[in-house]
Amino acid sequence: MARVGVFVCFCGANIADFVDVPKVVEETKKIKEVKYCIEYKYMCSDPGQGMIRNAIVENRLTSVVVAACSPRMHEKTFRKALSDAGMNPYLLEVANIREHSSWVHQKEKKAATEKASDLIRMAVAKSIANEQLHEISVPVTKRALVIGGGIAGIQAALDIADARIPVTLVERSPSIGGRMAQLDETFPTLDCSQCILTPKMVDVASHPYIELIPYSEVLELDGYVGNYKVKIKKKASYVDFSTCTGCGACTQKCPVKIPNEFNMNIDKRKAIYSPFPQAVPNKPVIDAEHCTMLLKGKCGICAKVCEKGSINFKMVDEVIEREIGAVVVATGYDLWDPKPYEEYGVGRFKDVITSLEFERMVSASGPTNGVPVRPSDGKVPKNVVFIKCIGSRDEAKGIEYCSKICCMYTAKHAILLHHKVHDSHAYIFYMDIRAAGKGYEEFVKRAQTETAATYLRGRVSKIYKKGEKLIVRGEDAQIGQVVEVEADLVVLATAIIPYKTNPELARLLGISYDKYGYLSEAHPKLRPVETAKAGIFLAGCTQAPKDIPDTVAQASACAAKVCGLFAGDTMKKDPMISKVNIEYCSGCQNCVKVCPYQAIVTEEVPFGHGVKEMRTVAKINEGVCQGCGSCVAICRSMAINLAGFTDPQIINEIVSI
Amino acid sequence: MKKLTYFPGCSAHGTSEEFDSTLKLVLKTLDVELEDIPDWNCCGATSAHVMTENFAYALPLRNLVLAEKLENTTIGIACASCYQRMKVTKVHMDEKPELAKMITDKIVEEGQYHGNVDVKSMLQFCYEDIGLETIKSKVTKSLAGLKVACYYGCLLTRPKNITKFDSPEYPVSMDKIVEALGAKATEFDYKTECCGASFSISNTEVVLNLSGQILEMAKESGAHAIVVACPLCQSNLDMRQPDIEKQSGKKYDIPIFYFTQLMALAFGYPKEQLRFPKHIVPVEGALSNIGKIEPEPEKIKKTKKAVEAESEVE
Repeated sequence: MARVGVFVCFCGANIADFVDVPKVVEETKKIKEVKYCIEYKYMCSDPGQGMIRNAIVENRLTSVVVAACSPRMHEKTFRKALSDAGMNPYLLEVANIREHSSWVHQKEKKAATEKASDLIRMAVAKSIANEQLHEISVPVTKRALVIGGGIAGIQAALDIADARIPVTLVERSPSIGGRMAQLDETFPTLDCSQCILTPKMVDVASHPYIELIPYSEVLELDGYVGNYKVKIKKKASYVDFSTCTGCGACTQKCPVKIPNEFNMNIDKRKAIYSPFPQAVPNKPVIDAEHCTMLLKGKCGICAKVCEKGSINFKMVDEVIEREIGAVVVATGYDLWDPKPYEEYGVGRFKDVITSLEFERMVSASGPTNGVPVRPSDGKVPKNVVFIKCIGSRDEAKGIEYCSKICCMYTAKHAILLHHKVHDSHAYIFYMDIRAAGKGYEEFVKRAQTETAATYLRGRVSKIYKKGEKLIVRGEDAQIGQVVEVEADLVVLATAIIPYKTNPELARLLGISYDKYGYLSEAHPKLRPVETAKAGIFLAGCTQAPKDIPDTVAQASACAAKVCGLFAGDTMKKDPMISKVNIEYCSGCQNCVKVCPYQAIVTEEVPFGHGVKEMRTVAKINEGVCQGCGSCVAICRSMAINLAGFTDPQIINEIVSI
Repeated sequence: MKKLTYFPGCSAHGTSEEFDSTLKLVLKTLDVELEDIPDWNCCGATSAHVMTENFAYALPLRNLVLAEKLENTTIGIACASCYQRMKVTKVHMDEKPELAKMITDKIVEEGQYHGNVDVKSMLQFCYEDIGLETIKSKVTKSLAGLKVACYYGCLLTRPKNITKFDSPEYPVSMDKIVEALGAKATEFDYKTECCGASFSISNTEVVLNLSGQILEMAKESGAHAIVVACPLCQSNLDMRQPDIEKQSGKKYDIPIFYFTQLMALAFGYPKEQLRFPKHIVPVEGALSNIGKIEPEPEKIKKTKKAVEAESEVE
């Protein structure tokens, strides 16, 4: 005879304000299998869990129902309480009377109370048919994949590798370094970005535990936490890295000139190129879209000048495979295209530029050797207007969110402008100054006092040309008047957006992303680096806009998570997976087709009853099965059952209401 | 032969008569037959929509209901303000058919609204339905030599989600039309600034200031004339120009043409038919530039090295 214990939680006021908990308890006590029922303010608290433990022992319970919040929240907590009391943890059922009742029926208390009683009755009925289940152990491949070689990927890779765990780092461009390599100096300390980044890049290349695969992309990810298989496409570089010395003769002689994306297209690069002088690896690649030899079969100068004979025009893309246990995604960010701001003359006025273009110009290694100039005539600007929130916080033209770093980098740009052009003046149009962070407010003050940048609170309504000057018309909300500033150069602080291939990547990794294309963390507060898929973690701007300190912190957090995952030789796995009853299986293999995880294979078994022939039946790979239940639904002969959701359990639930 | 339902609006019969008459000349050349909405009424202009919202819908809605009874499915509207009111009403009534029914039941005697007609400004009609190629093909007297600033005003392309035509900030449709006629459209940043509109009567100072800035910027852009597609813009920039000049002490002398006047001119109509005497600012000065083509700046000779580098690439 089943002896079920039911524990109803108030969840403070979350449940109790809308569900009449004593009434629910009274109703529950009427169920004949319920031998014990009690309510408590916070079931998840230590005393609450104690009540469960004691009741199991004292009332010789055979299963337990906790009526509280979503099982996603505290199922693990209560399972542990069961095992602490010597009971199999899978004899627990959670009735979700918070998300499924009190929160969604706040205006109908009576109905909410009745629904809570129904949910409990179902859980009780189900729990009676619960079976004892045991966690599955699966082996772990101790190698991590890091996607993206910006500062986030670099930091994560180094931290994981320092724990002597092998890392494969995949970078789409010819060199690691990412956006940080494009920056001149960094806020709030004005450290030279290259000087603090390049040593880390070199560390990556020389680390014995890091395998760096530049100029490559992830194609496919199969498997499950601890046992992933990844396919990586190594794009043809047409340069044999093993013999190339990085002398640069090929780049020098290449006659093709195309806009240099590393310098925001301000200057030109060659078709055979290395993105920047400190590139790691410092080997050139041939841009197949622009190389005349590859396009038309003419030229080949690079091959003629290469003393080592490293140029190979016949090289093709190569797909390689790696077995890995965990993934860190760090694909970084892109900049929002300010084209919709037609009133600012974007695209018409050469001297209206984006902040990353300005950043490249003030960079000592940039296209103008560290001196900002007007793209229209090459003159050094005196009056520079910076406009913040371009695309960010703008629902009409751009995106709703705050891009987070623009207030700080604009303050930095004002300071850098003053350092490079002493008699210049910076005007900054802003909506708010968001300078939360260590040393950040002080840094903005420095821009306002030391640099004497003019901060104007208000939006710019129009930019028009008068002679050689750009007239910036905006509102100064603090004096309540329209102001016009004569500018030589206008810099737009464009918003951060996720890298454009994020949705595609998310789909191939099997993780989710938000409406903007940022990859979604498992919980916005308590699980900020994990994704909903076990073993896949997020670092940097792929998850949300972030500055360098936050990015590095998150990358290190990812590394800690990966190291934690790899701490044992095997990994525990939920036992709630499908099982095939081969007596019933007809071998139709419909389940093989619907399984989204490729977890079902077939095997040959003896026919039985003295028949010599073999027959085909389905077989579940325990390690791969995620317990989604698709195979259960498709199986015509009801040969597959999902542990924890067996037919008797489900039927019990249905019958009880 | 294309057919088009025509809503002239009140100004076409008064202040902007030259717009109306040249439009008809132009459309004749372009083989478009106009059919007036029978018994059309006032669009409500500024007055109605500052009173009550539903009344502001009711006036244009009656015109739409009447237009639906005709064969053609597009209404072409000369005046920018009429266009605005009719288009806003169309878009909103299409979104809220129950409101349209309520208004027609109560106020419009002529029947129900079904949403079967489209509303276009004449500029939009010429640009989208006629097309630049056709316009170019009808030019018999190129306007080459004439430099104009195309001024769209605030209503023709705004709000973006209502008009769904050209850019709300830097439109180019009129620029492309005048260039099809052979004229040159200058780079003019004030094409969508406010001219002061109906403040012309109640607070003339405002118009002198705002229209003055437009004239100033047009002059700065090197234009001989301004081209418009809105009767109120035309009258503010033209009629108030002497006052603006008196106030600022500057001499602009910029005639304000309707784009249809320039089209008619390029299509070969004699000047006498283009109603130039209606203009306050004389047009002869600007028109005298037609035919005076500036020599093209000499092409910079490429250095031998650059030529070599290019040929190597090819």
